[in-house]
Amino acid sequence: MEDFERQLRDALARKEQPPSLEARVFAAIAAGESKSWTFWRWEALAASVLALAALGAHEHMVRERAAGQAAKARLQLALKITVAKLSKIQQTVRTSTEE
Amino acid sequence: MLAIKTVFIAWIALAPLGAQEIKLPASLDRLAAKASEVVDVTMDANLLQLASRFLSDKDADDAKVKKLIAGLKGIYVRSFEFEKPGEYQESDVEPVRAQLHTPAWSRIVGVRSLKSGENAEVYIKTENGKIGGLAILATQPKELTIVSIEGTIDPDQLSELGGHFGIPKVEDDSQHKNSKGGKDE
Amino acid sequence: MAPARSATEAKAEAAPEMTFADVLRANQSMVFSLAYHFLRDRGAAEEIAQDVFLRLYRKVNDLEDARHITFWLRKVTSHRCIDYVRKRGSQSSIALEDTAEPSVIEQHGDPLLNRRLRQLIATLPEKPRMVMVLRYQEDLMPEEISEVLEMPVRTVKSHLQRSLAILREKIERSMGDIR
Repeated sequence: MEDFERQLRDALARKEQPPSLEARVFAAIAAGESKSWTFWRWEALAASVLALAALGAHEHMVRERAAGQAAKARLQLALKITVAKLSKIQQTVRTSTEE
Repeated sequence: MLAIKTVFIAWIALAPLGAQEIKLPASLDRLAAKASEVVDVTMDANLLQLASRFLSDKDADDAKVKKLIAGLKGIYVRSFEFEKPGEYQESDVEPVRAQLHTPAWSRIVGVRSLKSGENAEVYIKTENGKIGGLAILATQPKELTIVSIEGTIDPDQLSELGGHFGIPKVEDDSQHKNSKGGKDE
Repeated sequence: MAPARSATEAKAEAAPEMTFADVLRANQSMVFSLAYHFLRDRGAAEEIAQDVFLRLYRKVNDLEDARHITFWLRKVTSHRCIDYVRKRGSQSSIALEDTAEPSVIEQHGDPLLNRRLRQLIATLPEKPRMVMVLRYQEDLMPEEISEVLEMPVRTVKSHLQRSLAILREKIERSMGDIR
């Protein structure tokens, strides 16, 4: 039975999450958690800031930091995809030039 | 409960995208529902500014990104991966391509591989002698990627990001010539 | 055997003050994996993970420490997954052939056997399935699983026993003897 349990542990080893998950979470936070998911970025962020003024400066800092980190994560993801694509295109051009 | 992925994309279609120059068609929403993996990034000037505040001048990598995005007005990425070929049509991409076939834009690279079915195009927009926009259309049988970058961009700075943040290195021509003659690193 | 802890997890637990980003990075693999192993649907797993972390963001100031956060995440993820399957109604059983695997390299054991086991686990009813995932992915003891799922310990043990017997029989039938 112990062997079988070890096999179950192997089978259920944690999987790596999709690379987009972090960015999606932060994007959802930055979106202001609107139930209908309609989202005006600056307006949502401004509304959040006003509401948070009543909750206290500390919480405001935490949330603003989260929104900023969200934006940074999305930016890095976008640049990663852009540079990866350009690199691949450059490689293809180079290969076809050499042939 | 509505699938979050679908609603997130639907928001993109419903909300006017302000000054976004290349309009991404609403038909891309349908592709998200069929895709096994979707990357959807929409960053206008305000969000770029917010991100920039969290890029440290003291960190070399952050500083490079900060410099790159200083002149940008927007970055828009839609990337779909599918389980099998045939999940998207040329007609899904055509509305984007049509916008790039205007006098303001020039296609600088077009590569096609009959063997792998890959097709990629790079367009730039020139304004006052500088590059004012960059667009990439990359299609493969099981993948579609559309990138639109608006604003003043320096492609050399973009290349310099390679090798950082998990971004693959973009070899420039001088590196390639050197590596051909010597050992692999 | 305790599941391997990443450097990020260890750091998050040791650091007196964590940002939400630290918490997310320390726990996202766990949350996604729980959902994925339960649902066998990568897209749904990512949606649930996103929803769970969004709820965590609203709640995080009420949670005491890293350990409490991990417990809360396991609990909410488990319940969200079970609710998701129940709302899907008749689709709660997943056809063995229709479960796509994320393209990851198997790091442990026999890939074919692992895949088969995951498929078979996905055919268990919801509560026993989640018990198995919590036991063998997270290495939780029955008492801990009982707290996460808000289920009597003896029920947890019963689910474990029966599920192991069912899986063992099915895997032996499909793949031959397991040593």
